[in-house]
Amino acid sequence: MSGRVLVVDDEPHILRALKASLRGAGYDVETADSAEGALTAAAVSPPDAIILDLVLPDGRGTDVTRELRTWSSVPVIVLSVVGEESEKVAALDAGADDYVTKPFGVDELLARLRAAMRRVEASHEPVYEVGELRVDLEKQSVSLSGRPVQLTPHEFALLRLFVRNEGKLLTHAAILREVWGRGYGDESHYLHVYVSQLRRKIEPDPARPRYILTEPGAGYRLVAPMS
Amino acid sequence: MLIGVLVGAGSVSVVSLAVAALRPHLPVLSLGVLYVFAVLAVAVRWGIALAAVTSVASMLAFNWFFLPPTHTFQLRDGANWAVLAVYLVTAVVVSALAAAARQRSDDAEQRRREADVLAEAAGDLLRGVELTAELDKLADLVAGALHVHGARLELGERDPVPGEHAVPVEVALRRVATLFVADTDAPDPVAVKRFLPALAALIAVAGEKARLEAEALEAAALRQSDVIKTALLRAVSHDLRSPLTAIVASAEALASEQVDLDPADHGALVDAIREEAARLDRVVANLLDVSRLEAGAIESHPELWSVDDLVGQALESVRADGDRIVVELDPQSPPVRVDAAQIERVLANLIENALRFSPPGSPVVVRAEHGTTELRIHVLDRGPGIAAADRASMFQPFRSGAGGGSGLGLAIARGFAEANGGRLWAQDDPSGGHFVVALATEPRPALRV
Repeated sequence: MSGRVLVVDDEPHILRALKASLRGAGYDVETADSAEGALTAAAVSPPDAIILDLVLPDGRGTDVTRELRTWSSVPVIVLSVVGEESEKVAALDAGADDYVTKPFGVDELLARLRAAMRRVEASHEPVYEVGELRVDLEKQSVSLSGRPVQLTPHEFALLRLFVRNEGKLLTHAAILREVWGRGYGDESHYLHVYVSQLRRKIEPDPARPRYILTEPGAGYRLVAPMS
Repeated sequence: MLIGVLVGAGSVSVVSLAVAALRPHLPVLSLGVLYVFAVLAVAVRWGIALAAVTSVASMLAFNWFFLPPTHTFQLRDGANWAVLAVYLVTAVVVSALAAAARQRSDDAEQRRREADVLAEAAGDLLRGVELTAELDKLADLVAGALHVHGARLELGERDPVPGEHAVPVEVALRRVATLFVADTDAPDPVAVKRFLPALAALIAVAGEKARLEAEALEAAALRQSDVIKTALLRAVSHDLRSPLTAIVASAEALASEQVDLDPADHGALVDAIREEAARLDRVVANLLDVSRLEAGAIESHPELWSVDDLVGQALESVRADGDRIVVELDPQSPPVRVDAAQIERVLANLIENALRFSPPGSPVVVRAEHGTTELRIHVLDRGPGIAAADRASMFQPFRSGAGGGSGLGLAIARGFAEANGGRLWAQDDPSGGHFVVALATEPRPALRV
């Protein structure tokens, strides 16, 4: 894996640790320690991804994201801390792709970074395989470990969105927009219930989901189960 | 007064007619005593002055109509002067007695009414009805007792506005309140002097009582927060320092040039740093939660969730010993409207608690049941269970069990359960620890497919 990553944090020790870890994982790393520095660095030499702390000495990561989104679609992963959940959600709504909560492990951060950098392929692959799950978008058929699974049209639309964005965080707003269109109404209250229903059909143990993970307060994420 | 005069004139006329009717049958002089009734009628209602006037009028009427020569104010028989004088004196004395008796009965009635007002006010105020909430009712009672049309009672002192008459309510020369009445409607000063000091004393006592109660409450809160601070410091020094010590020792060992580590030891030290740092993170999160719960600064963002999602999120956050957890869910459970992150903490803390206080390897069961209005999630373990005496106090922060640690988990769990309109309690169970979280269910949505 390679690419240029801009890391923005005002804590020198965190910056140093991230720089070392990302370099070790094969990325080129730029750093900035302020909101203004981040925007300048991103404009001067556009990175392939940005890791952005939510609290900066001269502004909020949420505002940086919003500003960035007016001229760039570079993947942004925000660093949030416990107790700032609403700020995290605001950043995701402003256009951030994903988040990790401090303190985080390097493996978790690298996984998020890979998922965020993997573009949604414009070409519509007809068949997705995630773990034991096989989704054929053309035939609209789903099977789990070779056994067919019957889904309602909305459940299928949800699953289609998930498999096309494997590993990526899908916020509640994004899911509702993609599955129900812009005019969704009361369904928003029932999103979690729909997801639970889908889980009961594709998860061997719905209380221990291995495919569709809940990101509390943020959204859902489809992952390939760890074997 | 005018009515008094008319009644006096009327009753004198009535008695005169009665005397005229009886004159053929009885000696006229003996009938003069009947005028006492006319005088009494006036004395009882209008007092001694009008009664005296009425007795003189009676005497003149008797003389005019019945004593010879009639239709003059002269008297033929000199003895009749004495008779008239006796009548007059009798009438005046009787009317004085009647008026006095009437006044006494009025006074007694007035005092009874005042006593009733004080008794009612005392009852309310000492029962703990708040003084300021009681003022309007008290003012109405006082207005009734003092025979004024409406009154306002205000604590402390202020100048009356035009059209208002202020009556100080004082005890020992200290103004505790002011009674405001219309200035055309000033109450009887005697009643005011008798009644208001008692009322003032009552208001003063009630005010003092409220102040003492507030002080006691504040003192209790301060004591409580002192206890919490002391416990917090103790918890912080233990719970923060022990993982820190492990981290520092491991990092120093890894960095030291004098220590020669084989790969296994190297890995163990790295693992120790990661595990202890994670523990430190949990302690900090708990401290943050408990301080926000104590400060009432918890906001909930309720959404509809199904029980398997909530339990799933909790299991996700309990990393260690996950294979001991047995989950028994009913897929038909109706959804609940809660803040998922907070309920996750409730369940995760209960599950961690159960894992910690039961024998290694024994199962911890998470079971959901639902009734018509409530979803109940039970967390059961095979540990020693909970003594009845501890069932209430164990939810207080910093009341740790035998396992050490700061004992914040259950306090946080209950705080979050209640912040989401739910309940959390420990249940008597001979087979081990048993906690129940109850959450109100929502009707299952009619899902459009």
